Amino acid sequence: MLKKIVILAVLVALAAWLATRPRTIDPSDVPDLAADPVHGEWVFHAGGCASCHGADLSGGHEMTTPFGVFHVPNITPHPQAGIGGWTLAEFANAMLRGVGPDGRHYYPAFPYTAYTRMTWQDLIDLKAWLDTFEPSAHRVARHELPFPWNVRRGIGLWKRLYLNTDWVLAEATTAEVQRGRYLVEALGHCGECHTPRDRFGGLDTAAWLAGAPEPAGEGRAPDITPHAAALGGWSARDIAYYLETGFTPEFDTVGGSMVDVQENLARLTDADRAAIAAYLKAVPPVAP
Amino acid sequence: MVRKVLLATLALALFPVAVAAAGDSPQEARHDLMEDVGGAAKTIGKMLKEEAPFDAAQAMEALQVWADAAEPFGTLFPEGSETGYDTEARSTIWTDRAGFEEALAAFKEKADAAVAANPQTLAELQPAAGPVFKTCKACHESYRVDD
Repeated sequence: MLKKIVILAVLVALAAWLATRPRTIDPSDVPDLAADPVHGEWVFHAGGCASCHGADLSGGHEMTTPFGVFHVPNITPHPQAGIGGWTLAEFANAMLRGVGPDGRHYYPAFPYTAYTRMTWQDLIDLKAWLDTFEPSAHRVARHELPFPWNVRRGIGLWKRLYLNTDWVLAEATTAEVQRGRYLVEALGHCGECHTPRDRFGGLDTAAWLAGAPEPAGEGRAPDITPHAAALGGWSARDIAYYLETGFTPEFDTVGGSMVDVQENLARLTDADRAAIAAYLKAVPPVAP
Repeated sequence: MVRKVLLATLALALFPVAVAAAGDSPQEARHDLMEDVGGAAKTIGKMLKEEAPFDAAQAMEALQVWADAAEPFGTLFPEGSETGYDTEARSTIWTDRAGFEEALAAFKEKADAAVAANPQTLAELQPAAGPVFKTCKACHESYRVDD
């Protein structure tokens, strides 16, 4: 009997170990594409990297969440303090799979659940742009998380539930909506703030972009679906104009953490902002 | 008698409305003034977005609302008016008064310049009003509570 229990326990442990194992991209699967750092700068702004990592990418921004405090890392090309010397495969594993070069899971406060949908070309171009930054020796504090969230291995299970490359808006009928979908769901990671989370911190895609409390506990990221109580009264032009200038249709100004986001999106093209607007008009309306 | 009671009741019922509309408190007065500034922004913004036809007289009127607002606005944040009336004023106005005054001065300067530019076409309105819009955004970022 005892023997059976021991065998069962070992089997459960083995299953858990396998289930939580980081799943990485093999270097041989990284396509050989020419890198364009100029286009990488566009990816950088569309992805909002500087909003958390800082304009010089040296990190340190504190992200307060219901799970604990995250300290955003230094991603300058510094070989020790930053991500200098990373191979393309290591960078891809961080961005697309949420796995560090040491094989550890990253916490999904880093929005790899969105970036996992990005194209190889954009990923490669982005790395080329990041490589142009000045290396910073700035050391960032460790995350402050209580048990059980400090057990990184558990993120392996979380990823099985929430990490996939499927589009939330499965049907995108026009090229413009598809473009907007890529900007919103992949690079812009808009859902990270504008979509409510379930109790495990995964995005509730049934209420996609329907608004959510700010992680830090003050205020809300608003509902940005076409519901009458959300952006229903905004034309696509209103949305694009807001993203360009920061002014609402009532000519109030953008506020809170959206200021940074809007200023990033102001650096994209009119066509990009129009595509985001077309996508936001195409998602299902959900009441706030 | 019945009529007097009715009138008195009506007067009492309207009293709070009248008080609120008068905007006696600095919180209400600055809110009302900011509504005017926002209304002017909407007039000009709609022209810039080409949702309304360009009208030089209307544009000038709106620019003048901006230029006239800055000075009285600065007087409406006395000590003791930090909270109340659902004010969206941020505490930084009182802790960083110099910065707030500077932001307000920038608004005044750009608004005065826009009036002086006297834009007669949509193409002239954009460079005149654009810098003012920037000062709105900058000041709100530092000195207004986020929703």
